This record gives sequence, structure tokens and C-alpha cells, in this order.
Amino acid sequence: MIRFILSRGLRALVTIFLVVTFAFIVLRLSGDPAMQILSVDAPPEAIEAFRNEWGLNQPIWQQFLDYLLNVLRGNFGDSMREGRPAMDIVLDHVGATLMITLPALALKILIGIPAGIYAALHRNSLADRVTMMLSVAGFTVPSFVLALVLVLIFSVHLGWLPSTGNATWKHAILPIITLGTAGAAILARFTRSAMLEVLGQSYIRAASAKGLVWRQVVTGHALPNAAIPTITIVGFMIGSLIAGAVVVESVFSWPGIGYLLISAVANRDLAVVQSILLLIAACMVCANLVVDLLYGWIDPRVRLSAAH
Amino acid sequence: MTDTTAPLPQADVHGEPTARSPLARFFENWPPSVLLALGWVALMLVIAIGADHIAPYSFTGMDLTSRLSPPVFMGGSWSHLLGTDELGRDVFSRLVQSIRMSLLIAFFGTLIAATLGTSLGFLAAHFRGKVEALVLMLIDFQASMPFLIIALAVLAFFGNSLPLFIVLMGFNGWERYARIARGLTISAHEQGYASAVRQLGASPWRTYGHHILPNIASTLIVSMTLSFPETILMESGLSFLGLGVQPPMTSLGNMVGYGREYITRAAWIMLSPALVIVLTTLSISMIGDWLRDRLDPTLQ
Repeated sequence: MIRFILSRGLRALVTIFLVVTFAFIVLRLSGDPAMQILSVDAPPEAIEAFRNEWGLNQPIWQQFLDYLLNVLRGNFGDSMREGRPAMDIVLDHVGATLMITLPALALKILIGIPAGIYAALHRNSLADRVTMMLSVAGFTVPSFVLALVLVLIFSVHLGWLPSTGNATWKHAILPIITLGTAGAAILARFTRSAMLEVLGQSYIRAASAKGLVWRQVVTGHALPNAAIPTITIVGFMIGSLIAGAVVVESVFSWPGIGYLLISAVANRDLAVVQSILLLIAACMVCANLVVDLLYGWIDPRVRLSAAH
Repeated sequence: MTDTTAPLPQADVHGEPTARSPLARFFENWPPSVLLALGWVALMLVIAIGADHIAPYSFTGMDLTSRLSPPVFMGGSWSHLLGTDELGRDVFSRLVQSIRMSLLIAFFGTLIAATLGTSLGFLAAHFRGKVEALVLMLIDFQASMPFLIIALAVLAFFGNSLPLFIVLMGFNGWERYARIARGLTISAHEQGYASAVRQLGASPWRTYGHHILPNIASTLIVSMTLSFPETILMESGLSFLGLGVQPPMTSLGNMVGYGREYITRAAWIMLSPALVIVLTTLSISMIGDWLRDRLDPTLQ
């Protein structure tokens, strides 16, 4: 087990390192930030001073090493626009994002998993077909289309809910519904196929054959086994709590991480973009790691095969 | 012992199984929903290819005398079937041009992803060892970051041009092909034919191109059909955010993004491209699911 944890932990670290490197390479090699920030006709002395201040005159590997050391020390650079630590700005926006993604996650789990289980247990029934149709819609309707249709219905026509901003709790409803319904559809589909796969296994027939009531077969044997693949997708959803709302935040002008990312990208605010990339990567990697470890804990086959 | 999970087919109970009409058998192989989906995709292809002949107006042409005129079914005139936008541009002509652009980007994006992923998968399976570890590491990296975030960073910092954007779309989902190609190639090497060809002295190029690739092609084609809609969605999402296809060029996501400004006064500007996105991705995924069931039941 320790070997298993170590190997997965190492993989997580390597991924983080790759993300840091990727961010650095893409952001630094893409053009001269001094020119972009100060504009081309800025006086040469000003550009020189700017470069010195931000360390842009050093060789690229030196900049990279400095950057790595700073990241390790918890120093993610200052925002070139606002002049204060980039990570502070980023963390200021995390709360707003979580305010819509956490309720959306709850919505996904509370609707998606029961719907998937029900559909699998009543295969080919009307409920199953409706669930499947909705889940296909969840894959194919882009979130910005769903968001705009909801705005059209609930804000423009009915006038019940506000369409943009974050002044009151009412503003959060449409973003939460947009995120939640799409995710619930996807989760229902995964849960259903996981359940169907388990229900086809011989141990389910064995459990029925030894005389267990169907309810006991489902709760005692089918659900725990079907939980394993479902955990993966829920883990992924938890990992994308911060990154998963970029488009929706933009539609509703919700001042979260996605909104910040798009404006930072438009302003070429390197430090802020890097901080967001790192934060998102850290969340995703941690969620994956936890899922991997849960997997190994629940299913001994996984940790044994990883040890070899 | 009775098998309660799989009831016998009804046809056997009622006499000869051949009693079903040819039409019923046809629809069993070609479900109506799939036929509809194929029809829609064919229509989209015709529009994309013949865009210049189908569009009644130039997609950038402005007609300031008929700005924000509603579509026919909302009381508009026949001269602008789907209405016009704030600058008096014909929504139908723009839609036709957008369909061409979005399909073009999704097509080349998917092709690049499939080529890149399959090649890396082959490399990993051929060399094993360090090369394989490197490819697996890249797969891990790609799978652990939401592609939208990577794309946003790359686009905004490298600026935006159409070729760059298409190549970027080609990085969306390559890791899936790499996983499939690697896994299937490793198992192909364990089967007789691949090693037989190798021992006859075939070059790796020949072994992979002429023998292994045709054997795993059906799985790859199914994955391409399943990832094509995702590429359309990624393209339209980025264009919607204003970071994809740039004006004066237009794509489906672009039109929706432009139309959201007018959602209270002229919802038709965004509704028709939104509907096309949904129907197209839906049709292609239905075809993909159907192909998967027919060609490759192992992929689930």
C-alpha cells in the first residue's frame, strides 16, 4: 500500500511540474510582455526599467529557475496590472466560483446518481428512455446555449430571475442550474452504465440464486461495485470545481475564477494566468490522487497491479 | 434454470422468424433516429461545401435599411429568411458561412488529434521503456488539465490566427487516441500476425501502416466520430468567449456570442446557430454510438 501511495504521489508531482513548465514556456515565449503591457511606442528607458524590474532581461532558464524557487516558497509573482500578489487576487475570486460550483455539484450528485441507478434497474422502461435522452442532451447542448436559453425564459420572458451580476442570492440560481443540470445528465449516464455492467456479472446471479431478496442484492452487491467507476467521475467533478465554470461565469458575468482568467488573458497579466493555471492543476491533481487512493483502498486488485 | 434477465425474442414464439417484413428488418439495422441523424449531417455537409451558392447574401454584407428585422416565422419578410442582425447582415447567410467554418475546424482538428495521438501511441508501443513512460506522462498531463484552460492560455498569449486555432483544436483529445493505439498495438504484438510480418523482414513503417493500423482502424474511426462533436463544442465555446474564430470571419459559437448582446431585443440572432450546434453534435454522437455498437462492441 505504501508503495502504491508513493507511486501515485510521484505521478501527481510530475504532473504539477509539467503544468508549471507548460505555463512558463507558453507564457514567456509567446512575445515580449514589456511591449504588450507598455505598448510599442513607450520610451526605451521605460521598457528597460520594466524588464529589469520583472527580471525579463535574464536568460530564460534563469527566469525559469527563479520562478520554480518562488513557487516553492509560495511566491507566485505580482500582478502586472494591480501590483499586488497574483495569488491573492486569484484567491479573492475562489469564493465566488465555489458559491455556484458547490451547490451545482450537490445538484449533480443528488439528481444524477439516483436517476442513473433507477434507469439501470428499470432498463428500457419509459423512465430509462427519458433519462437517457436527457443525458444525451447533457453531452450535446453546450453550457453557453443552455445558459442563454435559461436567461431567455426566466429573465427575458418571465422576468423571475436576474440574468447577470452577483448582487443577491437570486443571481446565483441560473448559473447553478446551468452547471448542475448538464453535470447531472453526464453523471446519470455513467452511473447507469456502471450499474448495468455490474448487474450483468455472475456474482449478482449467484446472490439471487442463494435466495437474497432483490433489494438486498442491489444494496449489498450491485451498488458497492457500481460505486467504483462512479467515484472516478465524481472525483473529476470535484477536481474541476474551480475550473469548470469558465464559460458559465462569463455568460452570467459572475466574478469568479473563470471571469478573472478571461480578463487576465485579455490583459496579458502573466502572473495571474500562471497562478490560476497552477491552482487549477493542483485541484485536479489532488482530486485524481484522492480518487486513485480511494480506488486502491476499495479495490485490492488496483493496488496490487500498481505495485508490480 | 430460468434466465430472467434475457427474455426470448418474440419472433420465435410466433412461428417462422422470417415472418418479419423486409421493412422491419431494414429499420432494425438502420434505426429511424440514426437515419434522421445521417440526414442532418448530410445536409450540413452539403451546406458547408456549397456555402457560396446557398447563401443569398454576402455574410459580411450590411443592409442598414433593414436592421434587426425578425425571421419569417416571427413576422419578418421572406427576403431575410432568418432575420437580420444589428448591422443588417442576413442571419441565414451568416449561418451558412458559420456552418462551413465550424465543420472545417472540427474536421481538421479531429484529424490532427487522431494522427498525433495514434502516432504517439504507436511510438509508445514500439519502443516501450523510456519513450512509453514519456508518452504516458504527456497523456496524464493532458488528461489532468481541462483543455479549455490550456486553450485559453495558449490562444491569448500567442495571439489568434485561424491556422493556429485549428492546430490547437488538434490537441483536444489526442490522448484518447494515444491510449487506444498503444493498448491495441501492444495486444496486436502478442497476436501472431504482427510478429509474423516483422519476422518476414517488414520495416516498422510497413508493419504499422499496412498491418496494425488497418486492424485497429474501426476502433479509431469510432473514437473519431465520438470526439468530433466535442471538437465542435470546444471551438464554439472558445469562439463564444471571443477567443476563437475572429471577425470578420464567423463560426457558430461566434454568432451565439454576438447574439447574446441582443438577447432581449432580437433573440433570433443567437437561436438559429445555437440550434444548429445542438442538432449537429447530437446527430454525430448518435451516429457514433450506433457505429460503436455495430463495429466495436468492446468500446464502451
